[in-house]
Amino acid sequence: MFTEFLKFDLRFQWRTPLLWIGIAVFALVAFAITRSDGAQLGGAIGNVHRNAPFVIVQWMTIFTVLGLFIAGAFVGGTLLRDFEMGTSELFFSKPIGAKSYLLGRYTAGVIVSLTIYVAIALALILAILVPGIDAARLGPFSFSPYLYALAVFVIPNLIFTSALMLLFAATMRSMLGVYLAIMAFLVMWAVAGSYTRDIDNLWVAALVDPFGARALSITTRYWTTEDRNTLLPAVSGYILANRALWLSMAAVLIAATLALFKAQRAGTSARKPWFAKRAKPAPAAADNTLAPVTHRAIAAPAPSSFGGAVRQYFKQTLFDTRHVLLSVPFLVMLAFGVLNLVGSLEQTGMYDTPLYPTTSQMLGAIQGSYTWILMIIVMFYGGELVWRERTAKLDGVIDAFPVPNWVPLAAKATALVAVVAVFMTAAALWCMGYQLMQGYTQLEPLLYLKGLALSAALYVLTGWLAIVFQVISNHKFVGYLLTIGIMMSWIVLGTLDFDHNLVAFGSAPATPYSDMNGYGHFITGWAWFTGYWTLFTLAALLVAAAFWVRGTPEVLRTRVAVAKSRLAGRGGVLLASLVVATLATGAWIFYNTTVLNHYAASDTQLDQQAEYEKRWRKFDDLPQPRILATDNEVQIYPAERRVVIDGHYRMKNKTTQPIMELLVYLDPDFATVRFDIPGATLKEHDEVSGMRVYALAAPLAPAAEFDFGYHIDVQNHGFTNSGAPGKVYYNGTFFNNIDYFPQFGYQPGGEIKDRNERRDRGLGEPRRMPKLETAPRTETYLSDDSDWIDFKSTVCTSPDQIAMAPGYLQREWEENGRRCFRYEMDSPILGFWAYLSADWEVKRDRWNDVAIEVYYDKKHPYNVDRMIAATKKSLDYFTANFGPYQHRQFRILEFPGYAQFAQAFPNTIPYSEAIGFITNLEGEDAVDYVFYVTAHELAHQWWAHQVMGADAQGSTLMSETMAQYSALMVMEQEYGPEKMRKFLKHELDAYLRGRGGEIIEELPLDHVEDSQGYVHYRKGSLVMYRLKEALGADAINLALRNYIAKVKYQEPPYTVSTELVAEFRAVAPPEQQQLITDLFERITFYDNRADEISAKKRADGKYDVTIAWKAAKKLSDGIGKESELALGDDIDIGVFARAKGGDENDEKVLYLKKHRIDQPEGKITVVVDELPYDAGIDPLNKLIDRVSSDNRKRVSLED
Amino acid sequence: MLSIRNLSKTYPNGVQALKSVTLDIPKGMFGLLGPNGAGKSSLMRTLATLQEADSGEANLDEIDVLQNKDAVRRVLGYLPQDFGVYPKVSAEDLLDHFAALKGYVNRKERADVVASLLQQVNLWAVRKQKLGGFSGGMRQRFGIAQALLGSPRLVIVDEPTAGLDPEERNRFLNLLAEIGENVVVILSTHIVEDVTDLCPRMAIINKGQVLLTGEPLEAIRSLEGRVWKKVVDKIELPDVQNRLTVLSTRLVGGRPVVHVLSDAQPEAGFEPIAAGLEDVYFGQLSRHRATLAA
Repeated sequence: MFTEFLKFDLRFQWRTPLLWIGIAVFALVAFAITRSDGAQLGGAIGNVHRNAPFVIVQWMTIFTVLGLFIAGAFVGGTLLRDFEMGTSELFFSKPIGAKSYLLGRYTAGVIVSLTIYVAIALALILAILVPGIDAARLGPFSFSPYLYALAVFVIPNLIFTSALMLLFAATMRSMLGVYLAIMAFLVMWAVAGSYTRDIDNLWVAALVDPFGARALSITTRYWTTEDRNTLLPAVSGYILANRALWLSMAAVLIAATLALFKAQRAGTSARKPWFAKRAKPAPAAADNTLAPVTHRAIAAPAPSSFGGAVRQYFKQTLFDTRHVLLSVPFLVMLAFGVLNLVGSLEQTGMYDTPLYPTTSQMLGAIQGSYTWILMIIVMFYGGELVWRERTAKLDGVIDAFPVPNWVPLAAKATALVAVVAVFMTAAALWCMGYQLMQGYTQLEPLLYLKGLALSAALYVLTGWLAIVFQVISNHKFVGYLLTIGIMMSWIVLGTLDFDHNLVAFGSAPATPYSDMNGYGHFITGWAWFTGYWTLFTLAALLVAAAFWVRGTPEVLRTRVAVAKSRLAGRGGVLLASLVVATLATGAWIFYNTTVLNHYAASDTQLDQQAEYEKRWRKFDDLPQPRILATDNEVQIYPAERRVVIDGHYRMKNKTTQPIMELLVYLDPDFATVRFDIPGATLKEHDEVSGMRVYALAAPLAPAAEFDFGYHIDVQNHGFTNSGAPGKVYYNGTFFNNIDYFPQFGYQPGGEIKDRNERRDRGLGEPRRMPKLETAPRTETYLSDDSDWIDFKSTVCTSPDQIAMAPGYLQREWEENGRRCFRYEMDSPILGFWAYLSADWEVKRDRWNDVAIEVYYDKKHPYNVDRMIAATKKSLDYFTANFGPYQHRQFRILEFPGYAQFAQAFPNTIPYSEAIGFITNLEGEDAVDYVFYVTAHELAHQWWAHQVMGADAQGSTLMSETMAQYSALMVMEQEYGPEKMRKFLKHELDAYLRGRGGEIIEELPLDHVEDSQGYVHYRKGSLVMYRLKEALGADAINLALRNYIAKVKYQEPPYTVSTELVAEFRAVAPPEQQQLITDLFERITFYDNRADEISAKKRADGKYDVTIAWKAAKKLSDGIGKESELALGDDIDIGVFARAKGGDENDEKVLYLKKHRIDQPEGKITVVVDELPYDAGIDPLNKLIDRVSSDNRKRVSLED
Repeated sequence: MLSIRNLSKTYPNGVQALKSVTLDIPKGMFGLLGPNGAGKSSLMRTLATLQEADSGEANLDEIDVLQNKDAVRRVLGYLPQDFGVYPKVSAEDLLDHFAALKGYVNRKERADVVASLLQQVNLWAVRKQKLGGFSGGMRQRFGIAQALLGSPRLVIVDEPTAGLDPEERNRFLNLLAEIGENVVVILSTHIVEDVTDLCPRMAIINKGQVLLTGEPLEAIRSLEGRVWKKVVDKIELPDVQNRLTVLSTRLVGGRPVVHVLSDAQPEAGFEPIAAGLEDVYFGQLSRHRATLAA
């Protein structure tokens, strides 16, 4: 019987066009993404092959998420077919078991869905076999990753999802049930996502995701390129547990379905699902009393009028809106949405430290974890509403009412808007409640309105388009499929370099929000694009209105004829005007984005970069004069987003040869540029790249100096396609000299960095930093335009703002309704300066003779005192241990959170509002990263602004790693070593993840390149902390003092990392020399774990604890190939006690000592005073160990 | 007065649903009789503006039914065959919604109309109840209530009594008869008695063609004295059907009873009976079949 159902269903399904459409769509997408350069979702970046096992498994898993709706249609649809077509009674009256019926249908659904995935796998294979992909990007071909993905992810996922749909479909007996199942599923997945943010919850995150995608990503989170290219994740640990959990869930669901399913007509079972309110039968009395029938005259309705039609439209809108708002799927999705939102409201910044629940954070949470549900809602209800009358078989009645054709369509479109509005309002109310609960009382309802309206537009437009598709296709599933097609087009267009918002439906530039600058000028571009797409969609809706089916559906030819006749007259005029308006808006947008502003599709952009490199790289080593001093008058016009710079450089030929030509670079998009170079003539001007070549009348002799004057006008007109933040804002302008000032010589920063894009354009390997061993050391890694310069500047802005530049304020005055400031430096600085302008509050303080000032937005006073305290403590530590502070002031300047960093300019630190200003430090165990960032940036006044490395590998060791070390030391002093553990745990995680994302090769710390932040920041913290443990802070600080004394304010040749490492070696005893090699000159890993831990109570009440351990040390190369290293390290052995029910935070150290470990395994017995809880090797995770959780084990107590 | 001239319709699959149908339908109940698939529903849907005709015309007094759809919809009451409801909406709410669509945009006026109609069809007591809980008869009465919105001049009811129990059917027909006094009511059915009981005029259609139009009584009268019946054996039946013009065969107490059309007693054993509309109906159909076969 089972096989009969199975066979019948398979035959039936394989003839369904929907299946083949689904197969075709998914196979095409799979093919396209493998061929496309842009698709990074699967992780085929850098050296990872396009067909790396890791990539294939990733894609197949991602497809199980994307294919959920299709699978839902098959499994749910198969079962529901009998109920919908009324054949269920034919089946149930036959002598069949519910078991074989359900299981047959279920298995058929699984197998049919599997067909789609087999097609996807084949498409992925085919995409690789068809020539055209760079052979260097392909690894050896093997079937096993495909089979692995099918067996471990796809099939278990199908088994579970289908079981879920089976249960819902069988008990609710409606497509609604299937949709609910899909929703439940997506929400589980999203919830799993919000758990992965906390690195302590890995097990929860891995288990709670039914797709297993998170288990997969957690398992492979530290995988290097080599691992990704060669390995398949072992079916153990997270993956095994996840798969086992959800397969058993599937079994439970199937069992539940069999138990609950009654082979009866829908609605006759005594047991009804909880949500089906029992419709009360009408009282018999009403049915049977035969009142005298009298035909009474009924007043005639008002004659037809436009006003009447409008009122009918309102009534219909209300009717449809109420229907949606009170329907179960909507309420369930709303509940899911709110549930998911609740989980993500507690926003955390770096190091899991919470943020204040500001409205912009709330909006971020809503957009991140709530609004996406609207995509499903508008798609689903777009279909439901269009088909509402026909589903209820009411179309015959309704269609014969005297209602104009536009009314039902317009009402349904409006109902969708109302639904979106209600959905959004619910979130806003919930969030405001949350803010109040958290004691945050600065409610901003208007900001909610703005922010949610901005994000609602896309959903409304998509919903409208869904309606259009439903009406025109006149087939529910085709309509759904077309709508899904639109969603896919967003992904596909992006990867095909059609990234102009004019071609991707509903797209508009981003509208980033900042408390300082609001939505700023971003609104304009957004409004034009959204207006454009709205007009487009309205035109489409009008066409749909013409195609609106009224009465019996006709063949296409008749429908077209009817549509034409309906569009004759006013409708046609309206349609024509909408089309014209769409085109006109599109033209205006095109003018703004590509004529007034610069637009290049990412491919074109790359081509231009390649062209630049080919034409100008030959001048890379052309000697150029260097800047000695600069004095500028900078006019900032925040309201116009305009900057005018008049200034000059004092320049000198510091080389030994005469200079004949000047190569000047400036952004080609600037409005006016004039250079004033005595006796020079413009010889060449590359308007695309912005390079100019000036021939000097007389060669500039060595040591000769001259003045280079410039006038630069930076204007921002209209709006751009991307809306990517620029530099000048209504409030919160921030730019530096590399952005707006002339630079000299070839600019290596303009080169393409991606090696595959380079290969496609016939360029060689990507530029790396000059080799440590052979670098000329003639320039710093920051700039080859200057060494140390004298800096002076006047800067003016609008009267309500303060304008800032490095230096000491000499004078402040008003002039022509503008507020002007004169800043001058009293000692030479690195050639790296910035200007800022904003409406700030100022808080001032002092440390000895240093003036401390924090310029902050009035909404963000929270952590200003914290920053000042950190500054004082850092100044204490740094001046005592490294040497004097070179300035008499230290200023922190808040800038809009469009970028998230703080940056150290001479005595001036621009500090993003998104990091630190809204961090909530009230929590007990929060990592105080405000303190950390402030200390880090202040440390740069030594480690960058006094000591600057050459343009060579390893130089960021002297800036970033040393700034990390300095900050760590002040933090440890402030918060104690226990807090450091949490911080370092994050650093370890970030380092290990970072190396997984490396696209060229990982380098040891002394060779680190400037793009390898995961090495110089993250590994740097771990390395320096370990070194401090081994040598002691005093020894290290002595080394650093010695080093600073030798190299500060150095002229070329600049210092390199080997010189710093030599200072460390000089203060280290002989037995620690190997450690320095391991830490700085190699990539070293440990694989330590606790094996058997036992304790025995002694007669004196103490405990003997025996710790059996395993240890290994490994050497890794740049792409992660590992080899064994001999041990010989001092490693902590520790024993800990814990109060009953207590956790790691308040454990007590019973024993913690370094032991010399030089064997791969061993046993140590120590005596402790109290009952031990756990123990292990390197228990505080001070070493770089990829599995840090197995270093400890619970103690087993022997009698 | 509704006049239909040469109305034709062919479906994309080749089925010719209406073949040059010409009918004049005066005020009062008009029965449209025909077997399943005769084209009744096609004709009704066309008159109810729900379907395009290929050719021909139809006029309701001064209104061109095929062109001026909106004008028709204002004076039309239509109760389709097998219509559904929103199960979770109450009778009052749905009727109110329909009334708005019918053009009662004034809330007060609409409430009066809805109340009046619900009382008229005897659903006032259950107006707050969800339609999902209504019996077939109640639902049909609700259907007629919505068809009466806007005091229609043309009421079309398609197979309204199918599935109703005898009592409900009576009540429903009474209601229809009331309405039929003032306006054109087209009652489409394959139940001959409905027409006999109610309709002063009728038409019989089959395969898209009008076979007969006129008054039922007159049609019956034309068969007066020409209908004969006999109880026969099962084995004889095919033989009888061959020799004579058999109008109908039905089982009475398990044995076939044949009605035969003949000017004189056809054979021994046949006895004369009073003709009914059913005999007219079957007579027309069998003659039509014969012409088609020829």
